[in-house]
Amino acid sequence: MSVASAQFLVAALLFAAGFFRLPAGNWRRHLFVVALVAFLCFSLSGLPGLAGLTVFILSGYGVARWLAKSPNPMVFGGYVVLMIAAFLVLKKYDAVRYIVPAAWLDHPIAVAGLSYILFRQIHFLTDVLQGQVARFTLMGYVSYQLNPLTLLSGPIQRFQDFEKFWADPQPLLGDLHQLLCAFQRIMIGTIKVAFIGAVCLGQFESATNEITRAMLGEFPITRWFALSRFAEVLYLYPAYVYFNFSGYCDIVIGTGALIGMKIPENFDRPYVSRNMIDFWTRQHMSLSFWIRDYLFTPLYKAIAERLPRQAPSLVFVCYFVAFFLAGVWHGSSMNFVAFGLLHGLGVSATKIWERLLIRRYGRTGLRSYMESRQLRIVAVFVTLHFVCFSFLFFTPDLERTIGMLGMAARAVLFKQI
Amino acid sequence: MTNEIHGRLQSVLREVFDDPELTVADATTADQIDGWDSLMHVNIIIAVEQRFRVKFAAAEIAGLKDKGQNIGTFKQALAKKLATR
Repeated sequence: MSVASAQFLVAALLFAAGFFRLPAGNWRRHLFVVALVAFLCFSLSGLPGLAGLTVFILSGYGVARWLAKSPNPMVFGGYVVLMIAAFLVLKKYDAVRYIVPAAWLDHPIAVAGLSYILFRQIHFLTDVLQGQVARFTLMGYVSYQLNPLTLLSGPIQRFQDFEKFWADPQPLLGDLHQLLCAFQRIMIGTIKVAFIGAVCLGQFESATNEITRAMLGEFPITRWFALSRFAEVLYLYPAYVYFNFSGYCDIVIGTGALIGMKIPENFDRPYVSRNMIDFWTRQHMSLSFWIRDYLFTPLYKAIAERLPRQAPSLVFVCYFVAFFLAGVWHGSSMNFVAFGLLHGLGVSATKIWERLLIRRYGRTGLRSYMESRQLRIVAVFVTLHFVCFSFLFFTPDLERTIGMLGMAARAVLFKQI
Repeated sequence: MTNEIHGRLQSVLREVFDDPELTVADATTADQIDGWDSLMHVNIIIAVEQRFRVKFAAAEIAGLKDKGQNIGTFKQALAKKLATR
């Protein structure tokens, strides 16, 4: 079920209208579970999916109970490896075909929102192991994982934040103005997803279809055709991703506010970022902060503690590992590897550039550089185009992307294509 | 105790930022110190862990740089760690 659909919106608003009319405590929690089960009925694809979901989540809960009783990094590590292996098989990753028998991947199990469930589970288990989760119950954990507002596409809410809602669901919005702002946010989100995003996607698909037909020789490719269609593809897909995903987040964050649940922000004007490090503090923030906290920081910390002299150089390895994994988390095909590595390259280039500036002009010079309005405009322009270029690899057809890039390069370099 | 923590924490920050003149107050935030990005934050945590002989969890490391956090809250977290050591 799409969150921008009329069914979801009507159900969410009815739910929000009735939620605080119930007595506090168990009544509200029970209603939340009823809504969760109803949402699952619409989202799950059959019994195999339900079985996969149940095993994934309940095993995580069982291991969390074990870790809470006796924190053991070996148990944690072993379970995380098993969980990632199961994830790769369930999601039928291309590369897994070289490791496991093909029959293993020929299964009917499709688990909705599995990528997000995996990241929430790793965060939860890490925090339990490190004593950062004071208390948890089976119903609370299952509700956290299957929360209809974050199940399918995030944002990746932290368990501690969900627990504040679950322990005592109370209204968050203090006055009528805040209530109206929440409704306005849901409406803006719906417009972003159902209209602006849909138009961007329609135009993008029309442009890519024309390019595909031209590349198959159905009509001659002129220089103007190649450049104009490539520009459409270059800008429209990132626009679609932003409007669709940030609109989705507006709807779930607004709905969450109506029922007293604080859902983390996911976007902060990403396309005005001045470099790729800045971009990842504004784009899909709950994912990038998850990667920072549970992947990059532990990896870099482990390296810097053991090899302090080499750490400034080895940090680039950490960037590439983090973004490679972020890339493949997005999808199971090779184009996502290219997407992740490009972003690893962008973030590394940003860090190298910053170090060069500091070496040459000192921290005072870096401050002047950051404060310059003209340089900011240039930096935003360059970053935006790097991001748009990287999004060419976010679309699943890598061969078509490479073909389009070749066509655009020929159009720029030669008069005859 | 708080003054001692402040002095030691400031000395760690001076070392990590390679700036002997650096002075911080309780209200100082990460945004107010040039170069305190995610990478530098991890370097600070490593230096603090070694100097104070404490260990921060992943969630605590992230929480120390959240909005609303400053040197004062960093010191409180550190004092709590030292008390339970």
